[in-house]
Amino acid sequence: MDRETVRTICYLARLEIDQEKSERIQKDLETIIELIGSLQSIDTSNIEPLFNPLEMTAFKHEDLEASDNKKDKFLENAAESNEDYFLVPRVVE
Amino acid sequence: MSIQFKSITELNELLDKKVISPSELTQESIELAKKYNELNCFVTLNEENSRKKSASIDRNQKKSSLLSGIPLAQKDLFCTEGLRTTCSSKILSNFIPPYSATAVEKLEDAGSITIGKTNMDEFAMGSSNETSFFGNVHNPWKKGFVPGGSSGGSAAAVAAGIVPAATGTDTGGSIRQPAAHCGITGLKPTYGRISRWGMIAFASSLDQAGPLARNAEDCAILLNSMSGYDSKDTTSLNSDVPNFLENINQSIKGRKIGIIKEFDLSDLDTEVQKRFEESKNAYENLGAEFIEVSLPNISASVPTYYSIAPAECSSNLSRFDGVRFGYRAANTDDLNDLYVKSRSEGFGDEVKRRILIGTYALSAGYYDAYYKKAQQVRRLIKNDFDNVFKSIDLLMTPTSPSTAFEFESKGTQNPVELYLEDLFTISANLAGLPAISIPHGQVNSLPVGLQLIGNFLREDLLLNAAHVFQTNSDFHDAKPNLENFK
Repeated sequence: MDRETVRTICYLARLEIDQEKSERIQKDLETIIELIGSLQSIDTSNIEPLFNPLEMTAFKHEDLEASDNKKDKFLENAAESNEDYFLVPRVVE
Repeated sequence: MSIQFKSITELNELLDKKVISPSELTQESIELAKKYNELNCFVTLNEENSRKKSASIDRNQKKSSLLSGIPLAQKDLFCTEGLRTTCSSKILSNFIPPYSATAVEKLEDAGSITIGKTNMDEFAMGSSNETSFFGNVHNPWKKGFVPGGSSGGSAAAVAAGIVPAATGTDTGGSIRQPAAHCGITGLKPTYGRISRWGMIAFASSLDQAGPLARNAEDCAILLNSMSGYDSKDTTSLNSDVPNFLENINQSIKGRKIGIIKEFDLSDLDTEVQKRFEESKNAYENLGAEFIEVSLPNISASVPTYYSIAPAECSSNLSRFDGVRFGYRAANTDDLNDLYVKSRSEGFGDEVKRRILIGTYALSAGYYDAYYKKAQQVRRLIKNDFDNVFKSIDLLMTPTSPSTAFEFESKGTQNPVELYLEDLFTISANLAGLPAISIPHGQVNSLPVGLQLIGNFLREDLLLNAAHVFQTNSDFHDAKPNLENFK
């Protein structure tokens, strides 16, 4: 885990780390990667991953029209909105 | 007449005999929350709505539920319509949900009163409640000591007798470990038993809601209301929900309890070991039989969890971008800058650490080595459980390797030190199994928890074994001295 890798992960996760905390984070990540790296010694050949303890496919329910439109309530939670949309800094010139 | 430290069963008696009205009960519960403000177990109190609802409770209705008029606290991770829900994070510090979590809705439909939202580790990521944006929660048994986490506020509120029960969520031990550290009972049900709709997601394949209460019987009362299929949660189990109170009193004679060979308890504090041996003897006296069993892969639970949980968290927490809800940073240059600054200013250090680990584990070139590998080991761990449950009914372990510890005494230099707190609890989440923690004595005046793990959907056996233990002991009746918190 070098500084460049940490920078790449931060970019992917859309996070920035303060300069003074960056070394500490790098060290912490190394420790945790070492912990999870210990799994490499376990033989998992021919073992299917278990992504969910229930191992079932998602239930489907009927696609029925519902009338609980809460648009106004949802928009209230946004930092900026107009009557129909969430507003963000301009993305096209 | 004080209602402090009363169980739901005891409060029902007082309500039935009209010694107290639902309004008075709710009011007193809110007063207690204010009186013990220094514990810091509440993020938000729900005073006005609680008063209104408690005044409207009619206990004379024929089908009045055992939760009718009972004050409860909800972990601040459950969405509550119109009531601020923060997940103890700056990024959600102004979030007012437009809807309620199904689990909360079911409890409220049964007549319970939500008096407030409890403090927790930020986004449930922690085992000590020290990562909350709203500050540490104190353990009611000792000021300056952690209540455990992540459902630390819920555990402290119940242990301090402010409410008889509260909700929590458990991703790697977040109900059981704080229950153990605070001397109360906490149940993590089978994955899928309770709807996760409206629960702010941390690790979706591990998260499960459950009750924290003064005893197993009260946990059963809450579980009865909280359980059931919900079409809004695609991982909700469509299976029958038994009445968990029905067989809670039955004898446990002949019940086979497994002791896990791979957990070397001799590494633990000798007093913690002693409590464990004493409880084993107590169960033997109640007719249970102990069998040593082997789960060869269980020691890999902690590294498996710390690969899967951060991976799922990095995906789930990508929704916090400052656009639709939550904190938005000021003075941003463009859309990407808005994402980066809102997230970087809004999340605390532990949350960032886990997002980064998860992003790494899921990134190109590492997916197979870390994430897929962990999910394969997870199957081995689940297979081990399937195997032992062919010959036993329950497993028994300590809940936590230690008692509650002082603030900032663990994990400050090395986060993995704190991750090992979850050693005994994590495997139940990986396999989706139900597990309960019950108080079974103290070490240095701090409570110690005993964990029982059950097979898939066998919460009934867990509650039965816990209740029978509690009807033959009084550890669950111990009360902390709260003089220091007034």
